[in-house]
Amino acid sequence: MELKFEGLTKKFGGFTAVNHIDFTMTNGVYGLLGVNGAGKTTLMRMLCTLLAPTGGAITYNGKDIFKMDGEYRKLLGYLPQEFGFYPEFTVQDYLLYIAAIKGIRPAVARKRTKELIAKVGLSKAADKKMKKLSGGMKRRAGVAQAMLNNPEILVLDEPTAGLDPNERIRFRNLISELSEERLVLLSTHIVSDIEYIANEIWLMKDGTFVRTGTSDEIIRSMPESVWQCYVDKGMVSEYMKQYKISNMKAESYGAELRIISAEKPSENARLAEASLEDVFLYYFGEKAGDESAAI
Amino acid sequence: MKVLQFEIKKIFSKFKNRMAVLILLVILVAVSMLTMNRVEYIDSDGNHVSGMPGAKSLRAEKNKWKGNLTEDVLKEVARENASINNSTEALSDDNEQQDKAYARKQGISSIAELINNAFSEWRDYNYYAIDNVSIEEAGSVYERRVSNLKKYLDSGEEIFTDLEKEFLIQRYEELKTPFYYEYTDGWSALLQNVSTFILILALIIGFLVSGIFSDEFQTNADAIFFSSKLGRNRAVLAKMGAGFAVTTVFYVVFLLLYTAIVLAALGADGANCPIQMDMWRSAYNITFMEAYLLIAAGGYVGTMFASTLSMLASAAMRSTATAIIVPFIVLCAFPFLSRVITLPGICSFFPDQLLEIYITIKEFNLVQLGGRIMNVATLIIPAYALACLLLWPLLYRIYRKAEVS
Repeated sequence: MELKFEGLTKKFGGFTAVNHIDFTMTNGVYGLLGVNGAGKTTLMRMLCTLLAPTGGAITYNGKDIFKMDGEYRKLLGYLPQEFGFYPEFTVQDYLLYIAAIKGIRPAVARKRTKELIAKVGLSKAADKKMKKLSGGMKRRAGVAQAMLNNPEILVLDEPTAGLDPNERIRFRNLISELSEERLVLLSTHIVSDIEYIANEIWLMKDGTFVRTGTSDEIIRSMPESVWQCYVDKGMVSEYMKQYKISNMKAESYGAELRIISAEKPSENARLAEASLEDVFLYYFGEKAGDESAAI
Repeated sequence: MKVLQFEIKKIFSKFKNRMAVLILLVILVAVSMLTMNRVEYIDSDGNHVSGMPGAKSLRAEKNKWKGNLTEDVLKEVARENASINNSTEALSDDNEQQDKAYARKQGISSIAELINNAFSEWRDYNYYAIDNVSIEEAGSVYERRVSNLKKYLDSGEEIFTDLEKEFLIQRYEELKTPFYYEYTDGWSALLQNVSTFILILALIIGFLVSGIFSDEFQTNADAIFFSSKLGRNRAVLAKMGAGFAVTTVFYVVFLLLYTAIVLAALGADGANCPIQMDMWRSAYNITFMEAYLLIAAGGYVGTMFASTLSMLASAAMRSTATAIIVPFIVLCAFPFLSRVITLPGICSFFPDQLLEIYITIKEFNLVQLGGRIMNVATLIIPAYALACLLLWPLLYRIYRKAEVS
C-alpha cells in the first residue's frame, strides 16, 4: 500500500494552507506536528476527500483518490478534530449508522460494533445517548467509528485535544494498539502525543513540511544545542528576550532555564539532551511572548 | 435501506420534530372538529344541532330527494318550497315558528340553491330567487346555467378572449345533466376546509425535512459523513429518500386521517354528484370525489415542491433555520402579498396556487398554451411535479459535491 502526495497544494483565496507537498507513505504511524494554522487539518481533509486540492494530487497505489471515490473511502477511517455526532442517538445506534454509511452489511456491523464498543471501553455506555457522554467517552466513540471498517488508512486529527492527562495516556495507548498493519496519520500540536508512538514525524509550518524523519533523526537534525543553567531572578526576562526557552523552573532566588542556543548562553550552562519538545520549540516557537513557545 | 431507516430515525430523534408531529395531531383534531361543525341542522322544534347528530338528521332529510334532478324533480322542489312558504309557520311573525318552517326546507335546500343560482345575477346570490320563480321556470335550471354564462361573457364585465369564451361555453354545455343528487354536505364541508389543513400540513412537513441535509454541518458530523464510503453517493440518496418518504407518508396519512374523520362523522354520500351542486359556476366537469382528488393532488405537489426547496436550501445554505423559512415564503408570502398589493396575473402560477385548487375550481382561472385553453389546475399540477423531478437531481449534485473546510 502506497499513499502519495504529489505537489499537493490547497489555497483559500489568497491564502495558501498547504503548499506543494510531496511525500510517500506506507504502513506505519505518521505524526503530524505543527502549531495551530500550520495546515495540518487542511492536509488531512484532502486526504479524506473532504476538500479538493487546488493543485497536485493524492494517489493510492498510483490511482487518484478523488477518482476512486467510494472505493478509496472504504479504506478510510477518520476522526476529525471537531468530532460531530447525532446527540439523540445512543452510542450503539450511532455506530450502527456510521457502519451503514460505510457500506458494512448489517450483520457484520452489529458484530463489529459490539467488539469496538468493548475495545474502547464503552460497553456500559452502549445504550447511553451520545450527548450524555463525557469528552473522553465521546472521543472513544469517535475512535470506534473510525475503526468500524477496519481501515487501511486511519486519520486522527487532534484526537487528544481537550482530554485530561489520564484520558490522554489511555487514548495514546489505544491508538498505539490500533496502529498495527495499517497507515495511521496522527495530527497534534501536543508533542508528547506522538513522541512515543509515531514511526515518522512531520513538522509542518506554513503549509509545508519543515522537517521529516524519526523522532531521533529530527532531534539530531536540530542545528542548535540545548543548555540548562541557573540564572538570578532579575536576569530571567533578559534571557527570555535573547534565547528560546523551552522550560523554566522558578525557584526562590532565580530560575533553572532550558535554553536552545548555538552558543553557550552562560558560564554555568551545561549541555542537555535534546527532546522533541525542544525541536518543536526550535522550529515553531519565537522568543519570549509567543504563544507556541509556552508549550 | 438501512441508511434510509437511520435517516428517518435521525429526523424523529430530534425533540423539536417530535413536538411538531404532536402539534400536527392537535391541529388535525381541531380542524376536524371545526369542519364537522360546519354542518348544521334545525330540528322540528327549531333547535340548532351541529356536527355528527346534525349531519345524520340532515342526511336523512336530503336523501329523501336522492336521484336524478330532472325537470320534474326541480318543479316538484319549487312546488314544495311554495307550499312551505305558504304554511302557517312560515307566515307567522314568531321567529320560532319561522325556524320550524325553515326546518322543513332543509331536505330541499341544496336543490333550492341550484334554482337560486340559476335565477340570480351572475355575481350575486339571491337567497329568495326560488320564491319568485314559477313552477314551470324552475325546470329550466340547466338551460339557464348556459344562457347566464353567455350573457355574462357578452356583458364585458370581465375580459375574455374568444377562445376562452368558446372554451367556457363548451365546458358548460358538456356538463352532464340532469345532475345526480344526494346529500353532499360531508364532502362539501371537507372540500371547504381541506386546503387550510393541507397548508398547515405542508408547513409542518417542510419543518420536519428542513434539517435532513444541514444538520450534518450544524452538528459537525459532516466530516465523518462525507469521508465514509457511501457519503457521496448512496447515503445522499438515502437522505433524499427520507425527505421523500416523510413528505409522502405524512401527507397521505394525515390527509387520509382528516378525510376519514370528517366523512365518517358527516357522511360520505354524494361522492359522485357533480361539483356544480356546490360550485355552481365551476368550469370543471367533475364530481365531488374527483374535486377532492384534484385538490389532494395539487396539495401533494405543492407540499413536495415546498419540501424539495426546503431540502435544497438545507443542502446549499447548510442552515436549518433558512430551510424552515423556505416553505413559508413559497406557500404563505404570495397570498399575504396579494392582500397588500395588486399582484400581476402571473401569480396564478405561483406554487401557493397548488394549495388553492378549491378556489381554482370555483373560479374561471384559465390559461392559454399553444393555442389551447385549459383550466389553471390542469397546467400547474404537472408543471410543478416536473419542477420537483428536475430539482431532485440538483439536490443530489449539490450535496454530494459539498466540501468540508
